Amino acid sequence: MSLFINIQEGEDQLPEVTSDKGRLLWISSVDHKQLGIMYLWLALFFFIIGGLEAMLIRAQLAVGDNDLISPEFYNQLFTMHGTTMIFLVLMPALIGLATYLIPLMIGANEMAFPRLNAFSFWMTCLGGFLMYFSFFAGGAPDAGWFNYAPLSESNYSSTQGVDYYLVGLILTGMGSIGAGLNFVTTILTLRSPDIKLNMLPLFAWMIFINGFLILAAFPLLNAGLFMMLIDRQFDAHFFIPSSGGSAILWQHFFWSFGHPEVYILALPAFGIISEVIPVFSRNKIFGYKFVAASTVAIALLAFGVWVHHMFAVGMTNTVNGFFAASSMLIGIPTGVKVINWIGTLYKGSIRMTVSMMFAVAFLIDFTIGGLSGASFAIVPIDWQLTDTYYVVAHIHYVFLGGTAFGIFAGIYYWFPKISGRFLSEKLGKWHLWLFVIGFNFTFLVQHVLGILGMPRRIYTYPSRFGSWEIFNMISTLGAVMMFVAIAVFLWNLFITLKKPRTAPKNPWEAWTLEWATNSPPDLKNFEEVPRVHSRRPLWDLANPDNPDKRLN
Amino acid sequence: MIAVLPFYNIQVLEYTNFLYWSFVIVAAIILGLVTFFTYRYTTKYKAKSPKDKPQNGSLNHKFEAFALITSFLITVFFMFFTVQSMKEIQTIPDDPKPDIIITGHQWWWEAEYPNSKVITSNEVHIPAGKKVLLALNSADVIHSWWVPELGRKIDMIPGMTNYMWMYAEKPGEYLGTCSEFCGMQHARMRIRVIADDEANFKKWQEEQLEPVITEGSALFEKGRNLFEQKTCTNCHAINGTSYNENIGPNLTHFASRKRFLGDFKEVNATNLRAWLHDPQKVKEGAKMPNFILSDQELNALVEYIIHLK
Repeated sequence: MSLFINIQEGEDQLPEVTSDKGRLLWISSVDHKQLGIMYLWLALFFFIIGGLEAMLIRAQLAVGDNDLISPEFYNQLFTMHGTTMIFLVLMPALIGLATYLIPLMIGANEMAFPRLNAFSFWMTCLGGFLMYFSFFAGGAPDAGWFNYAPLSESNYSSTQGVDYYLVGLILTGMGSIGAGLNFVTTILTLRSPDIKLNMLPLFAWMIFINGFLILAAFPLLNAGLFMMLIDRQFDAHFFIPSSGGSAILWQHFFWSFGHPEVYILALPAFGIISEVIPVFSRNKIFGYKFVAASTVAIALLAFGVWVHHMFAVGMTNTVNGFFAASSMLIGIPTGVKVINWIGTLYKGSIRMTVSMMFAVAFLIDFTIGGLSGASFAIVPIDWQLTDTYYVVAHIHYVFLGGTAFGIFAGIYYWFPKISGRFLSEKLGKWHLWLFVIGFNFTFLVQHVLGILGMPRRIYTYPSRFGSWEIFNMISTLGAVMMFVAIAVFLWNLFITLKKPRTAPKNPWEAWTLEWATNSPPDLKNFEEVPRVHSRRPLWDLANPDNPDKRLN
Repeated sequence: MIAVLPFYNIQVLEYTNFLYWSFVIVAAIILGLVTFFTYRYTTKYKAKSPKDKPQNGSLNHKFEAFALITSFLITVFFMFFTVQSMKEIQTIPDDPKPDIIITGHQWWWEAEYPNSKVITSNEVHIPAGKKVLLALNSADVIHSWWVPELGRKIDMIPGMTNYMWMYAEKPGEYLGTCSEFCGMQHARMRIRVIADDEANFKKWQEEQLEPVITEGSALFEKGRNLFEQKTCTNCHAINGTSYNENIGPNLTHFASRKRFLGDFKEVNATNLRAWLHDPQKVKEGAKMPNFILSDQELNALVEYIIHLK
């Protein structure tokens, strides 16, 4: 029995590349690795912009009755901050990591549709820049990232901003749908013949499920966006109550996309954590089957919980009760996953790299986000706290303390694979501690602000509310710490990219197939793929006397 | 200031009270356990040297089943009390007869008392010690009514009417705020509810129903004429006169209110003058146009409006 299998495809089946030199090559590239890297750069670029917007917001809110920023500009800022971070930072960062890693993890040399892959990236890119062009075209969108009708209709939002928002998101949405389709097809058809579905690395599994979520959720968003675009441009009156439309209808469209979107952003991060924690604990994941199966449960339930964003809309107790139940249920598979990750630490041999530390920070901060999320399933609590700073705290614990910590863990983990160089661990620890402490300073107190009655999306508050002022100041100082942390991270990236490539194939002694290639991988990922018999092929190769149980 | 807890007047809401504290306790236990075990395992099982081999132990998989069943039972518990509490807070009669109809406008509140026919804006008076049924709707975009100590939050949506109960146990002033983003001045659309005891509430209603004063000093007369000439009447109603447009706030007995502009500014001659002089400077984005009034005109109009008690 050979240790390797030859991949049958000929050179002509690979995307055609005539030269490996020159930056122009990147623009025409259909190589999944180059596209993955471009996604990550795009996410980083918008992360800086979205972060600067957040800093302006925090500067404005640091003291009460502040007139640093006009209400008009403030509303544009928070709208663009939310839209940017969700659609132009977290989405491209996760899709980018997946685009880079999925073929490597399943022993394939390309994605199923390389040209669609490039199309998806450039659509996302175009959508993002188009949205930002609105700043030069009379004003950015100012109706919030959720863009509620009728405030977002042309009679209340008269600049072109919302139109840019609609067209921009339609384009990025198309990009995401393309990416989702590509992931599903790639994982279904291009796996190395040895790999059965139940042997996928958990990151690949999460991306696989996520692909279905994207395929089902984004068309809902795009349908809604198109309707509103028609409303604004051609007076279709879908969402205008005074002429027969319904303001609530938009909310149903938006949140029936919006809540699956939360899981679209969470599942890949779960995948990253499920790779990082076992590798650095030197221990198999505790409960592979449970983690994988519960993800399917989450994906299905994700489409039945959206009304918990709308409990204050005034629907009947029956409707609210139904969605309260489904929202509580979805907490169970998510919550037990945390037990799986902690269980993986048990009796391991833990190496506290920066990547691992981000994963540990994820465990605690994501739990806080999960618990505050569960409180919204309890309708009477939601009836008080929805649309307050408590929600702001909650989403940041989920998206920043959850997804973004996961992405950072993934970046530090896969950076040697992607670039052939190690990010500095010393600077990384500065990044980590400043960021995690700053993050908790910023957002922990926002729970209190919400309970004290501070609503979201206000550009200022009365300075006579002394306690609001104190907590807001703490929050702003925390944001400054995060700002410094990101500066350290950028510096780390900058100096690391100047170093020579020294990373070996498998620096972390990891077990999945991407670590069997060179760092960085050659254009053709694998000349030959190692035989896979278990979920940890590289473990089996390194420990022929003590292999994992055969699964095929 | 806004009280921390209780949000609702939970003396009258036994299930809700219990539900709140149960959640706080359960959440604290879960977070405590997660933090404790994460910390303990990451310190206890930290590799002493890079060559350290794991002890290759694994938690018992029965633990997963245990966690699943426990969390399911917790869910059933919370679901039961959520439903009870929802019924307690939000049971509206089939044929609701609201005590007050509140309409949200960009960026102020209109309140109508259908029983007594009082119409006022921004400052809402209610009787203390009595459950009050509110009907809520909106004249433009979506707003949301939230006075944390007096009841739940509910959206005010154009094209539909929502109902909720409001209850103030003791007389006093209660602050709240619009809680759905409603445009440029969402921040300055705050609520002040004044709960009066039975006698005072009755007295307030009677005062509101009194005819508006129509005579005063020469300056007052001039202001009243200006009010007509400068097309103020196109938007503002004053009960008991022929001005009955209902686009801007109703100004009958304006000067009896403590604050105006959505609880933003105190009612006094200085603030009123600044507002009439340049509304956009005081509250940017407000729908009130600048009429470019001269100093004398400003004096007269302020004199008129400040006497509308």
